[in-house]
Amino acid sequence: MKKEILVCCGPGCAAGGSFKLAENLKAAVKACAAEADIVCQVESTGCSGMCEMGPIVRIMPDDIMYYRVKPKDADEIVEKTILKEELIERLLLKHDDGTVAVHQNDNPFYAKQTKVVLRNTGIINPKKIDAYISRGGYEALKKALSMTPDGIISEVERSGLRGRGGAGFPTGKKWRSAASFNGEPKYVVCNGDEGDPGAFMDGALLNGDPHSIIEGMVICALAVGAERGYLYIRDEYTLALNSMTHALKAAEERGFIGENILGTGKKCVLSIVRGGGAFVCGESTALMKSIEGEVGEPRAKYIHSVEQGLWGKPTVLNNVETFANIPVIIRDGGDAFAKTGTAGNTGTKVFSLVGKLRHTGLAEVPLGITLRELICDIGGGMQEGRKLKAVQTGGPSGGCLPASLTNLPVDFDTLQKYGSMMGSGGLIVMDDRTCMVEFARYYIQFLCGESCGKCTPCREGLRHMRDILTNICSGRGREGDIELLEEIGEMMQDCSLCALGKTAPNPVLSAIRYFRDEFEEHIKHYHCPAGMCPELTAFKINREKCVGCRRCAEVCPTGVISGTGNEPHFIDIRACVGCGRCRDVCPKEALETIPVSLWSRRMMKGSRGYLRSVKTPEEDE
Amino acid sequence: MQIVINGTACECETGETILTIARRNGIFIPTMCHHDKYPGEGACRLCVVEITENGRSKVVASCIYPVTHEITVETDTEKLQRYRRLLIAFMQRRAPNSEAIAKLMEEYEVPDYSLRSLLTGKCILCGLCVRACKKIGISAISMVKRGTGKKVSTPYDEPSPVCIGCGACARVCPTGAILVTETEDSRIIWGREFPKKRHAAAGKKEE
Repeated sequence: MKKEILVCCGPGCAAGGSFKLAENLKAAVKACAAEADIVCQVESTGCSGMCEMGPIVRIMPDDIMYYRVKPKDADEIVEKTILKEELIERLLLKHDDGTVAVHQNDNPFYAKQTKVVLRNTGIINPKKIDAYISRGGYEALKKALSMTPDGIISEVERSGLRGRGGAGFPTGKKWRSAASFNGEPKYVVCNGDEGDPGAFMDGALLNGDPHSIIEGMVICALAVGAERGYLYIRDEYTLALNSMTHALKAAEERGFIGENILGTGKKCVLSIVRGGGAFVCGESTALMKSIEGEVGEPRAKYIHSVEQGLWGKPTVLNNVETFANIPVIIRDGGDAFAKTGTAGNTGTKVFSLVGKLRHTGLAEVPLGITLRELICDIGGGMQEGRKLKAVQTGGPSGGCLPASLTNLPVDFDTLQKYGSMMGSGGLIVMDDRTCMVEFARYYIQFLCGESCGKCTPCREGLRHMRDILTNICSGRGREGDIELLEEIGEMMQDCSLCALGKTAPNPVLSAIRYFRDEFEEHIKHYHCPAGMCPELTAFKINREKCVGCRRCAEVCPTGVISGTGNEPHFIDIRACVGCGRCRDVCPKEALETIPVSLWSRRMMKGSRGYLRSVKTPEEDE
Repeated sequence: MQIVINGTACECETGETILTIARRNGIFIPTMCHHDKYPGEGACRLCVVEITENGRSKVVASCIYPVTHEITVETDTEKLQRYRRLLIAFMQRRAPNSEAIAKLMEEYEVPDYSLRSLLTGKCILCGLCVRACKKIGISAISMVKRGTGKKVSTPYDEPSPVCIGCGACARVCPTGAILVTETEDSRIIWGREFPKKRHAAAGKKEE
């Protein structure tokens, strides 16, 4: 009997020791190979999605899924599950009702997903081209070689596929206009410079299924008449770079890319360009500048890249995920692809679910699914005892949506209408202990360092926004600051040079739009309701809820919580540093934030001096 | 081809920028980073105008927007004035010592936005000096770093070995931010001293 052990070696599981685990499994299988009539193969795969429960091991064809497997469990897995077909209960996923999930689809995280882009990720070994071919890989390329360029483009147009990089521009339209321009040579570029905080789907795809991207790029090159392509991958993605380098070599050996594709005389040479880690190089024109060897600064897109892109030649630039969709569209036809999703937003989208969810990881869902389904069904709802406050989509270019809008369908147009953005698919779920001012400040601070700094609105606007937000977070906010933020934001949206600057104020503007009262609370009452900004946070113990368990007193770093067992405790707020550790451990939610008056703030400053330890906005120059 | 700027019909050719067309027709659009000899940066954004095409209006930078079909342009709407005031205030906080910016502040009646800044100096990072240096073929200076910490400098802030001391960077600077010290026999620029050579044909006797 033939069996296969799939070990997830995506970045999350690798950090949990899955390389060692794979090695141990191989050794264990080898050791018992002689005595049993089972042929067992151990394969390292790309990310299988549920990163938080990693390292994940899947045994095929029985479809048994083990979670949080440690390298030392290898012998037991081979001994029990492979040889004796017994389940190891402690490695299975447990449901709330005590039952266990054996197969992948018993786990709600996977059951609700529709895998199109991630069809091979987590199932095949990315280093083996035959594994990709055995699952229908490069079929689409063979089909495309027999089609006319116009036929390929029509098929993509019929699919309704929209660019997965963030803006959602129709891919077919882009290809059609690139094909229409005369200019030799033409280029195909794949944008793998994923840099949003909390987003990791492109890296997972590059690492887990590199051939699907290569296939998509070659088909694109055939359609628009390009013979040269570049994969721009950020250098931090070591695993992805490794996989892709390997895949390009293998594809060339088999003749899928190179000077003479499958003997048809057609040509497509692909190579990798390693990005130096600038977030702004994810912007298409900056990325092209970077490939050209210049400083990664965007240019105005009044003339589109499809007309004048890389080295001034017609260029098609698409996201990793967009290219990974192409083989499916060509193989099954555009109409079949368009059946998933909604009209105008066809297909699926991969999201990286992070934040205060029970299950975080990589999930692929049809477009048009509601946020609630994503959060509650796939993400398993909020962590225990926490309340959903807001969802951030689209990274630093996106915005936040309040809990009341979780019934919205997730698609390009709806999110934009509500002041956020699809972006590349990062989805950060925030609970009621997240301060929205601090949230906005975090993104602006990130962008301050990552803006290219070329145009005044973006460079100076971000600098002043950061200073204003830092001031609000530290109790130095002033009346009129909110209006000023809005004014700066509006100007940046209209006047900035590139998409980074135009979308940079989104986190601030959306936070103000939905959580204006929280900003006002910071400015007028010196109070951070979420208890996150240390200078505006003081805790009070609700005497009716406190059971006197002493847990808060034990963790308090400054020892300001007094009280004997079984009696309600008391916090001396004069010396409280507002770290919130007491609140995190309290089983009864007895700790509440209270507004700190200006008077007691001064007193605290005098007595403990901690306010001075909080940094003032620093100037970089 | 014809486009309409502030209600005036202006003749133009495909590919010309709105700024070129406006200037030719005597319509003023303020700029900081534009220079006829080194066009195409689009960094200061002071030259933003509102264009309307197919019934939709948007804000574009007139110095780099190439005209490809008939459009209507407005150069001085209430919205644009608001944007320009804020942009000038931003430049003033970046370069509080610049007289040119201070003059602009007065001209455009920029209100006090209560924006705090600790910066000093005169540079607004328009990038003209870098472009001038590149055009001459030297490229001794360039933009250094990114984001809010961006600045113009020589490699590693050290005197550049390739600088020829021509002073073109200082000549094009709209705010006078590049320090050039001229003495009888030398010029100091970007931390490097260039001795002046007198030519016999200059008309002065050598001692």
